[in-house]
Amino acid sequence: MTEANLLQKYASEVFAGLVAPVAELGISAAPAADALAKEDVLVRMERELKRALEKPASERRWVMVIDLRRCIGCHACTVACVAENKLPPGVVYRPVMTEEVGTYPNVTMKFLPRPCMQCEKSPCTEVCPVTATYHDEEGVVVVDYEQCIGCRACMAACPYGARTFDFGYTYTEQLPVFDGAIVGGENAAGYEHASQEYGEAWKREGRHESPVGNVRKCHFCLHRIKDGILPACTTTCIGRATYFGDANDPDSLVTELINKPNVIRLKEELGTEPRVYYIV
Amino acid sequence: MLKKISYAVGALALLFGLWGVYVRLFEGEQSANYGSYIGWGLWVAMYLFLAGLAAGAYMLAAFEYLFNVPQFKGTGKTMLWAALVTLPAGLASIGMDLGHIDRIWKVYLQPNFNSFLALMVWGYTIFLILIALSLYFAFKSPEKAAMKVVMWIGFVTSILVAGGVGFLLGGNAARLYWHVGLLPVQFPVFAIASGAGLMLLIVGWFMSNLEEKQRSDLLWTLAIVTIATSVAKLYFLVADYTQSLYGGVTDNLIAVNYVLNGPHAFMFWGVQIVLGLLIPVIVLAQPKLAKNGFIAGLMGLFLLIGYAAARILIVVPGQVAEMMPGQAEAFVGPKLTLAYTPSLMEWSVTSAVFGFAILGILIGMDYLLNRMPRSTEVKK
Ligand code: SF4
Ligand code: SF4
Repeated sequence: MTEANLLQKYASEVFAGLVAPVAELGISAAPAADALAKEDVLVRMERELKRALEKPASERRWVMVIDLRRCIGCHACTVACVAENKLPPGVVYRPVMTEEVGTYPNVTMKFLPRPCMQCEKSPCTEVCPVTATYHDEEGVVVVDYEQCIGCRACMAACPYGARTFDFGYTYTEQLPVFDGAIVGGENAAGYEHASQEYGEAWKREGRHESPVGNVRKCHFCLHRIKDGILPACTTTCIGRATYFGDANDPDSLVTELINKPNVIRLKEELGTEPRVYYIV
Repeated sequence: MLKKISYAVGALALLFGLWGVYVRLFEGEQSANYGSYIGWGLWVAMYLFLAGLAAGAYMLAAFEYLFNVPQFKGTGKTMLWAALVTLPAGLASIGMDLGHIDRIWKVYLQPNFNSFLALMVWGYTIFLILIALSLYFAFKSPEKAAMKVVMWIGFVTSILVAGGVGFLLGGNAARLYWHVGLLPVQFPVFAIASGAGLMLLIVGWFMSNLEEKQRSDLLWTLAIVTIATSVAKLYFLVADYTQSLYGGVTDNLIAVNYVLNGPHAFMFWGVQIVLGLLIPVIVLAQPKLAKNGFIAGLMGLFLLIGYAAARILIVVPGQVAEMMPGQAEAFVGPKLTLAYTPSLMEWSVTSAVFGFAILGILIGMDYLLNRMPRSTEVKK
């Protein structure tokens, strides 16, 4: 079963559960029939993703579009990213900034999810003394953990604060040992799964092995993309506020979206040419 | 007596520092207080300070070997030696800051020359070789053309590498507090100023072998250099900060306010301005006090402390403005904070670095330089 089918199945089950009591009252909270018939954007994006993967890598231009009007600030994307990439404490790729606007009683909240912008003119790659961070052939800014010397120059250079340093923390290291009940930090560490970033298994062994001591960042879930799966933040976004796809495909959803006038990119004035667009 | 105390201070600093070095090397960086938002802290600042000091010491050695300033006769070797010690000390400080120090060779064998950091590593390595060569020639044949050629190359290199570290920060367009054209310009001035501080300390406290008249003339010359560079530094500061405050750009305001009124404002007002600038300038402006070895040495020490503080106040405030407003609250985790005070481990490592530098300079002066004939004697 494809992920799209799975999604439809579970979505309809969840909806059924939600609407059941209401139905008894004769009121239906279920989406109208035509809405149900409408294709979920995820299905479309996944189809487009597969189409893009048929092209040579250098002809794809992955972009992300985030509709700020639809973001409800649930942080699901942040958490999905942490789970997907097995990010240790202190490392985050896609925080959601919250801003309170106005004064009581006219207050509202604004949310801004911030992945790596995958800048076309990326200041972070310029400063790296050993070319450990660079654009891969699809234009995504990656970090070669085995090459990085951990100087943090890229962290200082990134105008979006998109990089964090891996200090070697684990979630379980502080766990006490209690015979038969709690295994303790040392043994529990084995339960922390290896990150699969860049298609490799990065186990957290000791305090000196990469990616410990490296700067880390969002990579658009390249390891998922190559298998035709959308980035974790995109599939998890419950507001369907995050879109992903190939901007070189004239028929893709993202191309459609970024060609609209209500699209901005952050800190344009710095000339970084981000590949992440915001609909405002 | 002063020398004994200095030896003791150096030894104690090194001893206290060994603990930090051990923790850093074997347990990693978790006990450091720099993090993901303020990623460069005390060690980077001390690298800037010590590398600048080495450049400054070299520039002052040129006063003897290139410009033949009479007061500086017989001091060149000591200053070259000081440069040869402080530069590796600075490099050790930045080395400790690397997440993977074991991969440092990659900067030599797989460098990205678009990166200013790579250029700096190469630049300082070449500079280190030039210092060593200069010292070699200073012993062997200070009057020969080879010495002059090496010294000229070294002199120009010292200015370039000193300015280069300014660019290392200033090149980051997103960090408005650093990204001012003045920043790389300031650094060579800071370098010679801190070099003068070191020389005041060395000549004032440890070089009683200089002839009395020459020594007091030299101290007075250094006092004038200090006053001139301090005025220049003050001018830079005032120009930079008033422009930032007047311009009112948020990130700049945050950084300048952090310096002037932030949690470490004492570092600025107390250490950098009063101890490191006003007191030395006022005292050294009095010829009588300036020519007194002990007082001149003490002022040199104050100047050095002031310049070290100044480097911290360049490095850290440049990072206190969030790159994305609200970032620090958006996600909670260790080291995701905008607060920074160096941890005990960081101080300990810095203590080791300074212990090494102090002992290195003293041991060199006592056992290496004094055993060799001085350049003036060679001439005879
Ligand atoms: S957002 Fe930052 S880390 Fe990402 S590409 Fe741009 S400069 Fe580099
Ligand atoms: S921390 Fe790593 S990736 Fe970043 S600039 Fe340094 S070596 Fe390059």
